[in-house]
Amino acid sequence: MHFNTGACNACDIEVLAALTPRYDLERFGAVLKGSPRHGDVLVVTGPVTRQVKDRIMRIYEQMPPPRFVVSVGSCASSGGVFNGCYNVYPGLDSLIPVDAYVPGCPPKPEAIIHGVAALLAKIRGS
Amino acid sequence: MSKSTEQAIIDELRTQFSQELLEAKATRNRRVFMEVSPQAYKPVVDYAVRTMGFTHLSTITGLDSAKGFEIMPHLSRSGAVLTVKVTVPREDPTVETITDLIPGAILYEREIHDLVGVVFRGHPGLERLVLHEGWPEGVHPLRKEYKAVQPEPLRKA
Amino acid sequence: MAISTFDVPVGPQHPALKEPVNFTFTVDGEHVVGVRPRIGYNHRGIEKAAESRTYIQNIYLMERICGICSVAHTTTYVQNVEYVLGKEIPRRAEFYRVLINELNRIHSHLLWLGVAGHEIGFDTLFMYVWRDREHVMDILEMLTGNRVNYAINTIGGVRRDITPEMVGKVRKVMEVVEQRVTYYRKAAAAEPTLLTRVKGIGVLKTEDALKLCAVGPTARASGVKSDVRADDPYAAYDEVPFNLVSYDLCDVLSRVLVRVDETLESVKMVKHCLDHMPAGPVRVKLPRVVPAAESVSRIEAPRGEVIHYLRSNGTDKPERYKVRAPTLGNIPSVCEMLTSKGDYAVRIGDIPIALASIDPCFSCTDRAVLFIDPSRGKEWLWTFEHIRKYAGRV
Repeated sequence: MHFNTGACNACDIEVLAALTPRYDLERFGAVLKGSPRHGDVLVVTGPVTRQVKDRIMRIYEQMPPPRFVVSVGSCASSGGVFNGCYNVYPGLDSLIPVDAYVPGCPPKPEAIIHGVAALLAKIRGS
Repeated sequence: MSKSTEQAIIDELRTQFSQELLEAKATRNRRVFMEVSPQAYKPVVDYAVRTMGFTHLSTITGLDSAKGFEIMPHLSRSGAVLTVKVTVPREDPTVETITDLIPGAILYEREIHDLVGVVFRGHPGLERLVLHEGWPEGVHPLRKEYKAVQPEPLRKA
Repeated sequence: MAISTFDVPVGPQHPALKEPVNFTFTVDGEHVVGVRPRIGYNHRGIEKAAESRTYIQNIYLMERICGICSVAHTTTYVQNVEYVLGKEIPRRAEFYRVLINELNRIHSHLLWLGVAGHEIGFDTLFMYVWRDREHVMDILEMLTGNRVNYAINTIGGVRRDITPEMVGKVRKVMEVVEQRVTYYRKAAAAEPTLLTRVKGIGVLKTEDALKLCAVGPTARASGVKSDVRADDPYAAYDEVPFNLVSYDLCDVLSRVLVRVDETLESVKMVKHCLDHMPAGPVRVKLPRVVPAAESVSRIEAPRGEVIHYLRSNGTDKPERYKVRAPTLGNIPSVCEMLTSKGDYAVRIGDIPIALASIDPCFSCTDRAVLFIDPSRGKEWLWTFEHIRKYAGRV
């Protein structure tokens, strides 16, 4: 499940691009679902703004374990270029545990797929 | 030599508003900036919109300066951008709304109210636009006295 | 207990208050009768941050206001600083800026076309269009080094140049885009199910577009013939010819036609830039300290007019930097088009496509919106996924 926490949309369009034929994230067994109750992996983009903090935490709480979190992009990973701004948390991991970080501003679809695939392989291996 | 468009705009407003036009300048092609007294603010905007054809409001800038809070609607028509500036005192940061002249001003005034703390008298609904509900009253991030502070992390990374 | 339309009590323990809804819809059965916007989840505090960063650092901040039309904000920004510094920038750089901004418009409009296709239930259109868009992403990456966030603008010009080999590749891609978009235009016009989902939906009358100061394709699809590239030419737009695209159907279909035709105009403009790129340097070195002044810069981004205001103070950091992105300029208009009045009825199912038709620069598909039905005393939160299912589009 993909959630945007106040992103500029650059990461979001690369996440979406990862689903299109050229990159095709589906072949790794990943399908985009709308509800946290159906998702194993939460993919988050954006610097978490104050307004969305409660919602992202609630989405995480509503995901039945085992659940995993991928922070896509510099903003989700650390606040990125918005670090220091009054309305932005310093990274998603200041709120919920993160299992994989995909750096980039924005990361290319290949990087996003690599991050998600590596996480899925790790989950399946364990 | 014929007058430039920008000079013609300044001259027309000077003729209409004389003393109330505190300062006027054309900084480049298609850019006119003027400062007006608070009592002339709404009449000048009205004249610019209804008589001079500056019917498009691009946005309104709010600014905290040594002189007080400056409010500046940026009005445009094909071929020129007219910025009308009015300064209100810190101790009484209110100015009239222009939403009755230009309905499109509605969100721009709310934004300034949130971030600079100016009150627009007569605005139909001056509620929060961009700041979180839990944001403290009376704290306006774009005021110079406010120092940006990031929200506290809830856990260690 | 009767609850009046304008005074719905929502207590502090109501779960809705914790949701970052950006719209609250008042409904009467099936019809939307009122819309309240409350946009803030995307507010990051950029204008404040700009005051404590240098002019060069701010270029990187401006690029990330919106990841889809990023170069629009950097172009507006560097122009603003260049206006104050008062120096001529090389003509080649100005043509380059037109080239990149038009390629950006093409990618953005194709992105939108795919998303709009998805909204009205044509997922195959989404996949085809985004596949075509990849060609444009490839040449943007070739020209600038990055698919998104090009970092191409600097104060004084652009940071890279175009080689003859690159020119050839860009031309090839423009041929493909022109072919594909022309095909989509024909195919869409011949598809009756598509037309019923966009005709007469999301109506914005010309006089409302003007009163509410709508911008971009949203305004031009309501018969307002304004475009910053024509009204207030910047970069090399005074020399690159184009047709101002406008339709007066005032509905979602009108907005589709405007963006499709604009994409074809942009293809022509890109070709013109390639044919007429003047020789010379692509940048000049400009001072880091900017004298005290004020300036307004505007450009026509894919979504509409971008306007920035700069107050400089004689240091290497701005005193104040104001940004107005185009979507904010269209929020009052989208509220208008989503409000039923007289014979014009807005159904709940129309909300996603009407909202998408203004090409909003915020990701709204994951967000919930709040519905209030005062006559039944009900309130509920739905995501757009819910609305689409409800409207039978999924």
